[in-house]
Amino acid sequence: MRTLLWLMLKEELRTHTTYSGPRRFFTFPVMVFIFSFIFAMSMQRLLQGTSLEQLALVAQASAFIYGIGVGSFGFMGKQYIERGYGAKNYLVAIPALLPITYRKTFLGLYLRDSIFYIALVLLPATCGLALGAPFVGFKVTSILLFFAAEVLGFQLGTSISFLGSVLYTRSTPAFVAFTSGIIALVFLGGSAMLFDVRLLVPSIGFQFSVPPFGDDLEGALLLASASLAVIAATTLMALALVRFRYVSRDSKHETLLPKYMTRFRISGRYKELIGKEFVDLRRSGTVGKMFFSFILPLVFLSFTSWFVNSGLGIPVGFNTVFYGAMVGFMGILLYSWLNNVDSTDYYSLLPLTVPNVVRARIMIFLILTTGISAIFVVIISAVQHELDILWLSLLVMFVTSFYMVVMTAYLTGIRTNTFLFDMSVMSRFAIMSFIPDVGLAILSFSIRTHWAIALTGIAIVLFLLLGNTAILYYSIERKWKGTGFDV
Amino acid sequence: MPGKLEIQCPALFVTVSVISAKGLSKRFGQKQALDGVSFEVGGGDLFGLFGPNGAGKTTLLRILTGQLEQDGGEGKVLDVDVKADPMEVKRRVGIVPEVESPPTYLTAYEYLYFVSRVRQIPDIDARIDRWFDFFDLKESRDIICRDLSKGMRQKLMLASAFIHEPKLLFLDEPFINLDPIFQREVREYLLEYVRKGGTVFMCSHILEIAERLCNRAAIIADGRIIRIGEMSDLVKGGASLEEVFLKLVGKEG
Repeated sequence: MRTLLWLMLKEELRTHTTYSGPRRFFTFPVMVFIFSFIFAMSMQRLLQGTSLEQLALVAQASAFIYGIGVGSFGFMGKQYIERGYGAKNYLVAIPALLPITYRKTFLGLYLRDSIFYIALVLLPATCGLALGAPFVGFKVTSILLFFAAEVLGFQLGTSISFLGSVLYTRSTPAFVAFTSGIIALVFLGGSAMLFDVRLLVPSIGFQFSVPPFGDDLEGALLLASASLAVIAATTLMALALVRFRYVSRDSKHETLLPKYMTRFRISGRYKELIGKEFVDLRRSGTVGKMFFSFILPLVFLSFTSWFVNSGLGIPVGFNTVFYGAMVGFMGILLYSWLNNVDSTDYYSLLPLTVPNVVRARIMIFLILTTGISAIFVVIISAVQHELDILWLSLLVMFVTSFYMVVMTAYLTGIRTNTFLFDMSVMSRFAIMSFIPDVGLAILSFSIRTHWAIALTGIAIVLFLLLGNTAILYYSIERKWKGTGFDV
Repeated sequence: MPGKLEIQCPALFVTVSVISAKGLSKRFGQKQALDGVSFEVGGGDLFGLFGPNGAGKTTLLRILTGQLEQDGGEGKVLDVDVKADPMEVKRRVGIVPEVESPPTYLTAYEYLYFVSRVRQIPDIDARIDRWFDFFDLKESRDIICRDLSKGMRQKLMLASAFIHEPKLLFLDEPFINLDPIFQREVREYLLEYVRKGGTVFMCSHILEIAERLCNRAAIIADGRIIRIGEMSDLVKGGASLEEVFLKLVGKEG
């Protein structure tokens, strides 16, 4: 197992360094460290507009959502295994040739990504915060406890996502039952107070039980143990259920492509690509992935807000404008999935360019998300009795969604997962997303107290984002024109 | 049994050079994949490129088809500069890659339909039917490419390269995974195709077929062309292409 894990780690590293080179790749954690140090140093200023509880909640919820995104090994592994032909293959598919079980390679995948992403993102981020802590009056022990909560939240997300994705690959009803069960547990159990509400998201409960938010050592240990128990149970169940068999599946499929091309004829010269990609999305079962990557994190974010407010009694309410911005910024998860549905090698045989595919995928993103995002924002505004700011929230959601996907597409082309770990790309991405993200978040927090200032600020940010979106969209051609599909 | 196909390739480029390479070079990190490769292929040629693994065959084919940019030198295909206008090259030629990799989730029919629409060719269904008939793919029409056998996928890749009836075909190991019946069918199709004025540039390790098929050939090793000429000149003196090849790349005996 140790050899397999070591080889899988090297494989992951080489996949990333193939495109950006080792030096640029290894600068990525350094950049994370620097950004988090700068963040720590500007904490006092940030706390003038928001509370420490809000920041901690966003950080912990992000770690969990990040884990959900990373942990869909069921989908990922199935894709690699089924892509048994083509230019590339991965160690997870090796049981087809060698006497080794899929259970073992999937455990390798789980451990590999846990180590890889904790080392690459969570650890350097914590080190940056720890370095800045003494300057802003935080204890290093608080930072270590914050790191522990982050790791627990990340692993919780990874393990739950792993189990959900494995269930999805085996049985749609089982997957539906699993997700319904979680939702029932969270909303019914939580609101009826059938058990200690902190157990619902134990990693976040842990964070708010330890300094600087609380001082309940016994409760914290219980919550940490609960987190570890859930992590172990879900991972073991996922591993027990992993099973892939090579069977002849020459089942017939209805011809969809001509219909889809007709449906998207309004997209002009992109209708062939959009039609083809929609067929891919439908037949690859990406609807489930969308659920994991987009809708679930949004529901989770709203739930954690409710949970910390009601369950923990800590006032950290987010308004609908904040959610509008968050929906937009989460769009990159979906764009990233669009780039992982199938290999694009064969496009290089046809008169098509990378910019053609990038633009087609931006359109697909907008077709897929606009309705869902709008419905989500409308529901949130109704639940929170904030219909008076619904128009603003929708505007923020549309502009940030469009900006984020175009900016991500411009920076990463059709290899989002890989290029976001390139230092130069990541640093530009961080600046281009972090600044408007934080700006909109802070402005949204003061919308009830300083309406005119907040509205003016939001208008300026949206105007700048729209301008940048137009520039970046037209620059996609120049940036990606000479790039190959398989290079 | 495979159906018969009538070739509709216009009789052009009989004497004109359709591929021209001048000093092409390409480096991947420390490895010099191509080192000043120069040659010409005339219209109506069935040109074979042979060489050991890693000699630079696929790199050269990918440069000439606009899939990869060269570091130095000049390549022209059908009078189009491959570096300056790779899209025009792809529009005009048909390409079969080394690894058969059609899109995972499209059916066989949908893949050919997609290719036809991207290439903006008329009479799509008639052409698809013709090639399904030729390659005996009708039973696989509604099966997604992921679930097709390797041989079926290779046939589909060949059909997708032939469907727009280009004047020039670039084929990288076209006979791989094909059964003997279809190896013969494709061989006969290619001979008929060049008789009617088409040109074929082909890389292959199956030297027996290549010797019977190609009228001109080049042998490449370590990124350099070490022999080029008429097939009859290469194998003169009773030696087979395999013997000539082994001798030239220094592996005989």
